[in-house]
Amino acid sequence: MNSWILTAVVFSPLVGALLLWLPPRGDDVGVRRSALFYSLITLALTIVAIVRFYAPETSATGEPVSYRLAYSTGWIVGADPGSLDPQDRAREIGIAYRVGVDGISIWLLALTSFLTPLAIWSSFSGIRRRVREYYTLLLLLQVGMSGVFCSLDLLLFYVFFEFTLVPLYFLIGIWGGPQRRQAANKFFVYTLAGSVLTFAGVIYLAFYTYEVLGFVTLSLEELSQMGQQGLLAPPVQWWLFLAFAAGFAIKVPLFPVHTWLPLAHTEAPTAGSVILAGVLLKLGTYGFCRLSIPILPAASFELAPVVAVLAIIGIIYAALAAWVQTDVKKLVAYSSVSHLGFCMLGLFSLKVAGVSGAVLYMVNHGLSTGALFLVVGCVYERYHTRDIHKIGGLARPMPWMAFFLVFFTLSSIGLPGLNGFVGEFLVLLGTATSGSVADLRPAGPLGYGYVIPAALGIILGAVYMLWMCRCVLFGPLKEPPNTPDTSAGLAKDLTRREITLLAPIALCCVFLGVYPKPMLDSFETSIREHVLRTSVSSFHATAGDDSLAADVEGREPEAVAGAFDWVVPGGGLPVSRDLPVAVAVGSETDGGSAVER
Amino acid sequence: MNAEFQLRQLSPEFILLIGACATLGLGAAKASLIRCWASGLACGVLLLALVVTVWQGEPAGTGAALGLWVTPLTFYTRCIALSVGLLIVLVNWRQPAAQERGEYMSMILFSLLGVLLTASANDLLVLFFAIELVSIPTYVLIALSRDDRRASESAVKYFFLGAMAAAILAYGLSFLYGAAGTTVIHQVANGVVSSTFPAGPALGSSALIGLLLVIFGLGFKVAAIPFHVYAPDVYEGAASPVTGALAFLPKLAGFVALLKIFTAFNWVMPAEINWLIWAIAALTMTGGNVLALLQTNVKRMLAYSSIAHSGYMMVALLVGPVAGKGPMHDGVAALLFYVAVYGAMNLGAFALLASFRKGDKDLETLDDLTGIARRAPLATLGLAVCVFSLMGFPPTAGFLGKLYIFASAFCVSEGHAFRGPLIALAIIGVVNSAIAAAYYLRILASAYMGEAVGEDLAPVGGAPVRWGLALCSIPMFVLFAWPAGLIEQARDASAVVNHAITVPTSRVTYAESAEAFDPGPATGDSTLFKAYPESR
Repeated sequence: MNSWILTAVVFSPLVGALLLWLPPRGDDVGVRRSALFYSLITLALTIVAIVRFYAPETSATGEPVSYRLAYSTGWIVGADPGSLDPQDRAREIGIAYRVGVDGISIWLLALTSFLTPLAIWSSFSGIRRRVREYYTLLLLLQVGMSGVFCSLDLLLFYVFFEFTLVPLYFLIGIWGGPQRRQAANKFFVYTLAGSVLTFAGVIYLAFYTYEVLGFVTLSLEELSQMGQQGLLAPPVQWWLFLAFAAGFAIKVPLFPVHTWLPLAHTEAPTAGSVILAGVLLKLGTYGFCRLSIPILPAASFELAPVVAVLAIIGIIYAALAAWVQTDVKKLVAYSSVSHLGFCMLGLFSLKVAGVSGAVLYMVNHGLSTGALFLVVGCVYERYHTRDIHKIGGLARPMPWMAFFLVFFTLSSIGLPGLNGFVGEFLVLLGTATSGSVADLRPAGPLGYGYVIPAALGIILGAVYMLWMCRCVLFGPLKEPPNTPDTSAGLAKDLTRREITLLAPIALCCVFLGVYPKPMLDSFETSIREHVLRTSVSSFHATAGDDSLAADVEGREPEAVAGAFDWVVPGGGLPVSRDLPVAVAVGSETDGGSAVER
Repeated sequence: MNAEFQLRQLSPEFILLIGACATLGLGAAKASLIRCWASGLACGVLLLALVVTVWQGEPAGTGAALGLWVTPLTFYTRCIALSVGLLIVLVNWRQPAAQERGEYMSMILFSLLGVLLTASANDLLVLFFAIELVSIPTYVLIALSRDDRRASESAVKYFFLGAMAAAILAYGLSFLYGAAGTTVIHQVANGVVSSTFPAGPALGSSALIGLLLVIFGLGFKVAAIPFHVYAPDVYEGAASPVTGALAFLPKLAGFVALLKIFTAFNWVMPAEINWLIWAIAALTMTGGNVLALLQTNVKRMLAYSSIAHSGYMMVALLVGPVAGKGPMHDGVAALLFYVAVYGAMNLGAFALLASFRKGDKDLETLDDLTGIARRAPLATLGLAVCVFSLMGFPPTAGFLGKLYIFASAFCVSEGHAFRGPLIALAIIGVVNSAIAAAYYLRILASAYMGEAVGEDLAPVGGAPVRWGLALCSIPMFVLFAWPAGLIEQARDASAVVNHAITVPTSRVTYAESAEAFDPGPATGDSTLFKAYPESR
């Protein structure tokens, strides 16, 4: 039951960051190499974790466990709250160190562990001052990101979620471009302003669990069971959804609150951009997927159209904005905003297809946009500009760079055969079929109407990305004077190091494009089990109208379960174990009214 | 159960008193002797007092006498005051010129003695004297702290305004005495809380006036808006290490005194008083943070930040000891936890300012900090940890402190009359933490993001100051990872102030409290033994 491996994955970069101060002063080469070495150790540990993840695992009672590789121990109280009975729990603050992964988070964890060594390696030539601090911060950033994906306790999740701001603040502020201070401050204050409201939501949720269950719990597993059993009253769900969304939407970023992102991306050093686009933005979508949807099913259902409309506005608006950028990096940044809009759309289709597409999209976007930032970084290191008007025709002097830029552009715009296509397709499929009521499943919140503008976004995406490729790669050769600058051991075209950096990402893109099944299977199980699992009572609480209640009461329980179960075919209520509920929730059919008292 | 009051329970106070006198006496010795011994002696005295306190352990079932009552609240306050006091001595190790150091250190010890007495006071008069014993040495401290006209100016300013606050406080206490007919704190409630409560108004008019004046007087000590006006000027004028002490000692004493006064009223507060404290808390948080945004002088900025922190603590004060159910409801425990964390993190920020000089000037403005991260990476890391903790950012203890405070406000139970305003106040507080980040980040930006390498920065103060800074910042992580011990102590301490409240989720009534207490004859002599009721 208790597995050390995730703790090791999360905290090994922290140990590495401390050990980084061992090489003697002034030994920049040693520092770089050891940073890369430590991040590779984390990668190795992650691979061990993935292997163990696939080994069958059962709990002490013999049931299959829902979160694998779990480990929990007391934190704010002395004992592990899970091991106490309800009477004891009532007196304790139920906040614990709980980690564990499921089929969604293990791959996002893998993405983090995969991109960090690449980000570290990519900085070897670009970062020439305050080297030791730089790599320390990158490793600390990895601690925060891995921690978010492994947390099974809401407060622990929040702690890691917030902690990621600190290293990135310094990475942007110290090693960034000319406007770095402004960018770093804007990034920090903007995201913090949202997440303090999330913090308030977390506290309120803790209080509410006490009201309902008789003890405080912030365990994600128990919270999502609460949500699925309809123990959270709809008004409470609304408030909590808004509070969570305040933090997550800024991180994603969703349309009206995206303005920090282009500045932060443009000013960040290459590795910062890679991590920011590759992993950090996913913390927002992951938060929606892991917290908002399972814990607050009613509010998610009702607010899904709003989120979807904002996502679509973001898709179109950011695509148009990207089109007129002259800074390549800013263009890619806006493309991120546009792409994350697809992710949100898929999540809030509340269908298995849409959600697995969205999660796959997170991974894909991390790979291809991360790689695009790497390529842009390579160009910038040589030409010291990213202005589309000052460079051009680079395909001739830099054929390798041209290959990778075109490759990742195609991956990013969703060329069939590459990874982007699969995610995009599933998202649109999920959105389109969201409103269908086939197999007696209830209609999802979205429908065809949402697909048409989103598909327009795909076309626009192809337009601006290919336009950028044309400007940078083709036409007459344009180079600023005194360039390319090869002073840092760079060649005219990509060096062997840079090619080795980009090749594994490209291979992943091809693999995911051709054979996404293993990953999608793993997503699907977890989505059915953790994200979209809901029961009659929660749906009952959602609707809250008498006609539905009467309708429910008039049928056989099995039929009801089948009618209102969103995703699980066969209709059984897949609630693995019930919570010790203090408030009497009699049968499923009167759960809603018990909460509304 | 009816254990007698024993003088040895006051041994930490006696150790401090003797130590303070000895240090004062040392001030008459030769300069070389003082240089060697003054700070070390003060440090030793504090260590001894701390060891004795911990060795005696948490008091249980002890009586009250001489206007003093040693309770778990006393124990908790002693522990944090002496621990932070040790850090204060470390940070001030080489502060004034050698010939004045004996007097200087003894003033710190006297001020701490005042804090300890405040924590055990069980009589309005003793409480007043104890509070003044905290304040008066700080006037001397400021004047002695540096050879600068601004230091004298701020000492005088602080003295006059402090005297006025003391007068207001004394006036308020005399009203309370008039209303209650006794000065014994745990008997005040019997006199002031009206017998018609909760049907009629809770307090008579003279008790109300007394309470108002006391809140104003103590509001000055904790630098709550609108009684804060002295803070930025005084903090700016005093030398940085003193400022660290100044932002903690009166605040701790003020909050402990407020706890005592509210306990004297059995936490029965009329709505007007609740709204008054609500307004003060909201103003103090918001005003402190917004005004801090406008500063370029780091000391002024930290002064306003300490005002804002008082605001956060007032949220917990308003929640009170039992305002809801569940394990996170306890506002008093949250306050006590926060004030301990605040003491260390705030002192740490001032310790960095104290440990460097730019040319021949003290570090004061944001520009002065430029390049310090490259000149002294470890010390600046300590500053960063303290600043992130002040910001309430994980993984530091400041985050947990904020968590407790706001959780206590959110966990007020549904039936509570003041629930809505309390939740609104907590949301104001949460939003304020985001505002605060904007100016704390400017400190970090100056320290880390400049191009300068800080060649003109010279370390001063030597190893003890560095140690002080380290001991301020390392506990931020330790208390984040293992908060349970301190929280348990804070909860025990909080159990004292709600000892009268027998029915959770509802405020105690007069009749219940009278039963719970059984006051003896209020003769005020040592025959007045009071058993500490076992409510836990």
